[in-house]
Amino acid sequence: MTQHLPILQIKNLSKSYGAVKAVNDVSIHINRGEIAGLIGPNGSGKSTFFDCSTGLAKPDAGTVILDGQDITGWSLNRIAREGRMLRSFQKTVTFKALDVEENLVIAGQMFTFPSIAATFGLGKLSRQRITGLRERARELIRMAGLWDVKHMPAGNLSGGQQKLIQFASMLMPEPKLILLDEPMAGINPKIIERVVDTIRYANKSLGVSFLVIEHNIDVVTSICERVMVLDQGSKLAEGLPHDIIQDQRVREAYLGG
Amino acid sequence: MSLTETGQQTRRLDLRIPLAIVLITVALAAPFIGSRYVTHSLIIALIFMLPAHGLNLLVGYTGLLSLAQAAFFGIGAYAAGLMAVHFGTPFYLNLIAAGLICGALAIPLGIPALRLRATSFVMCTLGFVIIGQAISKNWISLTRGDMGLSGIPKPYFELGPLSFTVSGTTNFYYLALAIVVIFTLLAWAIVRSPAGRNMVAIRENETLAESLGVPTWHYKLIVFMMSAVFAGVGGCVYAYYLTVVSPLTFQMYYSTTMLIIVLGGGAGMISGTVVGSLLFVGLTEALRVAPELRMIAYGFCLLVLVFWFKNGFAPLINRFWNAVGGAK
Amino acid sequence: MFSTLLEQVINGIVTGSVYAIVAVGMTMIFGVLRAINFAHGEYYMLGTFGAWFAIDFLGLSYELSIVVAILATMVVAYVVGQLVMRRMVGAPAESGVLATLGIALILQNSIIFTFGGGYKFFAGGYIEPVEILGFSLAQQRILILVVCLLVFVGLELMVTYSRLGKAMRAVSQNVECCGVVGIDVSSVVLKTFVLGAALAALSGVLTAPVNVTVYGGMGEIITFKTLPIIIMGGLGNVRGTFFAAMILGIAESLVATYVGLQYRDTVGFATLILMLMWRPYGLFSTQARF
Repeated sequence: MTQHLPILQIKNLSKSYGAVKAVNDVSIHINRGEIAGLIGPNGSGKSTFFDCSTGLAKPDAGTVILDGQDITGWSLNRIAREGRMLRSFQKTVTFKALDVEENLVIAGQMFTFPSIAATFGLGKLSRQRITGLRERARELIRMAGLWDVKHMPAGNLSGGQQKLIQFASMLMPEPKLILLDEPMAGINPKIIERVVDTIRYANKSLGVSFLVIEHNIDVVTSICERVMVLDQGSKLAEGLPHDIIQDQRVREAYLGG
Repeated sequence: MSLTETGQQTRRLDLRIPLAIVLITVALAAPFIGSRYVTHSLIIALIFMLPAHGLNLLVGYTGLLSLAQAAFFGIGAYAAGLMAVHFGTPFYLNLIAAGLICGALAIPLGIPALRLRATSFVMCTLGFVIIGQAISKNWISLTRGDMGLSGIPKPYFELGPLSFTVSGTTNFYYLALAIVVIFTLLAWAIVRSPAGRNMVAIRENETLAESLGVPTWHYKLIVFMMSAVFAGVGGCVYAYYLTVVSPLTFQMYYSTTMLIIVLGGGAGMISGTVVGSLLFVGLTEALRVAPELRMIAYGFCLLVLVFWFKNGFAPLINRFWNAVGGAK
Repeated sequence: MFSTLLEQVINGIVTGSVYAIVAVGMTMIFGVLRAINFAHGEYYMLGTFGAWFAIDFLGLSYELSIVVAILATMVVAYVVGQLVMRRMVGAPAESGVLATLGIALILQNSIIFTFGGGYKFFAGGYIEPVEILGFSLAQQRILILVVCLLVFVGLELMVTYSRLGKAMRAVSQNVECCGVVGIDVSSVVLKTFVLGAALAALSGVLTAPVNVTVYGGMGEIITFKTLPIIIMGGLGNVRGTFFAAMILGIAESLVATYVGLQYRDTVGFATLILMLMWRPYGLFSTQARF
């Protein structure tokens, strides 16, 4: 029905902190099945824009439309649960005291159980749902290469492994769209390969659309099909990766010219 | 069973089921094994286990430190006492009413309180206890103020053709035991459910849980309500045991006791609360420790718990149980 | 009619002074430690008991007992500070709550266990009344007022000009940077803590002649009244605390006279609850910091 519409449309988003206008009337869209990128130098308003779109902050103005539905003003958990739009955090976060499998089961619970009341059930239906979640979790664990450590507490694993857990968690609820906040920050090249593979796998095989917000241009050009550039709170440019790299305005923005 | 490196199997005895049977037998035969004072101490331990379970759900599983348990304990006690004295309703009705009234009151109190951050929330919940005491002292027409409600009858049951009264310490012990077993199983069911897993997620990292679709605010309110119900039920049993309810039922000391039970026994473990109550309440009651010494001991316990034994007795209990089960 | 009202207001200001001296200590401790000291009222109690003990058992004069009481309390506070409070730097909020609750239990019940829980009579103090503006006021109450003003002026000077004061301000604002510039955070916390406890003890000793009865559990009520004051005054905000204490003192006095004595002690916490439920950020600060 809405197959031709973009999966995410953000129109005229604005947010000020006191006198500073962090985001100034920005509109972007993400097409279905796309891996899009959003880049910009420090202070360009990327983080604010990101938080406003995902329910962590309230925008002063603008609308956010997810798969044809107006989700402006929705809370973080509602956007995740009903909208099936998930976001990652710059700092790699997991449930450190819980083991890998538990981390993933929790990630999938609110999408399998139709209501809060249902989560209190201990009957056959509830157990079936959990079994289904565990199977799915194990598949993702195997794919991420974490099979050997699946019963270890997440806090005991390396930063890169925790990043993979974070990724796998976001794939548990069969999301439509995942927004990644600087996913490559602070991880070593070996894990970057794995992360890129996971993103591609999720995109091609599971049909998940992605918006990757990154500071590092090289990373973005290697996986994104389309790139948007923010500078000082406004949209500066938009287009194919290699066009963007060569765009004079973008170069100036990054070099502070 | 464990495998040694050479592949030989060495079987170590799994004594868990026999141990469980022994414990159950002791629990059932307690009034006949110990003196009347021991039975009394066990009853007190059982009564306090109820609000402690509620507090465990709040602190141990959801990560919300609250001092409000004493407030709902008092409200439950007064609710049950008033119904028994004025309406003459049977015990189980008063029990259910006490629980439901507390659960209902938890909503208008919890909604604004849960907006607060950690320290303010603690103070707000402490405020509930203080205000509760003030109301019970001053609403004399309802509560008879400092004189308190006396003359609560013995627990009276009327189930169809069957009606009986529970009288005597021994019989009261079995009544308390039955109620506590039911509610302990209820608490256990809650934490084993997917909701219980969500609660742990909220404790571990609330924002992460939210980003994965968990409606954290709703869960916190629900847990607040549930713990109020547990406390109210405990208050009802307390009222019947003492046969008197007074403003002294609203004491911060009770909140502190419940905290010690949960944190000392091992927050985040149902068995931790059971052990905690038997140890910190039952034992001190049985030894007839002077109240001041008991509170000094509680004070030191809190300090020790904060700095060295953050998980209370939980790791010890776990290790003991695994060892009994044959693990190395 | 008016003179009665004025009298009640003056009484309220005196009560407010008592609370202010105690509360400013608690709020300074929060400033450097980010933790609410649930045991703060116990130091007030220790001050009172120290003086009572000095007068009744050691036969000292009231003036000397003040010194003894405050010194004794400072010793206790030093021990507590070294063993417990210093370790709470950077600890999560719950740890502070539990640790100070534990200390309160220990202090309160040690005194009750040693001296018994009943009321004791406090024999010292300047309870002779003086005629002022048409009604009589005990000299002790005037003393309390004067001391309160001296304390606050002294604190203003200390915080602005002295080395400790500046260190306190630094720790209150940014703990991480302090280590870098060479401020021993742990030591500042300890000193602030002992100072706060000493102020509480001072308040206790000065108020004892007016209260007349002394008992082991008296600290708890003081804690329950100081908590609303420091929150309503804005945590860490010395001036705000002064005004909040005065407001509470006057409010309590008026409620006691015109509404009913039995409601007096609930005014503080009732106001706090209402404020937390409807305006969680304090009357004088604009952002929740706790």
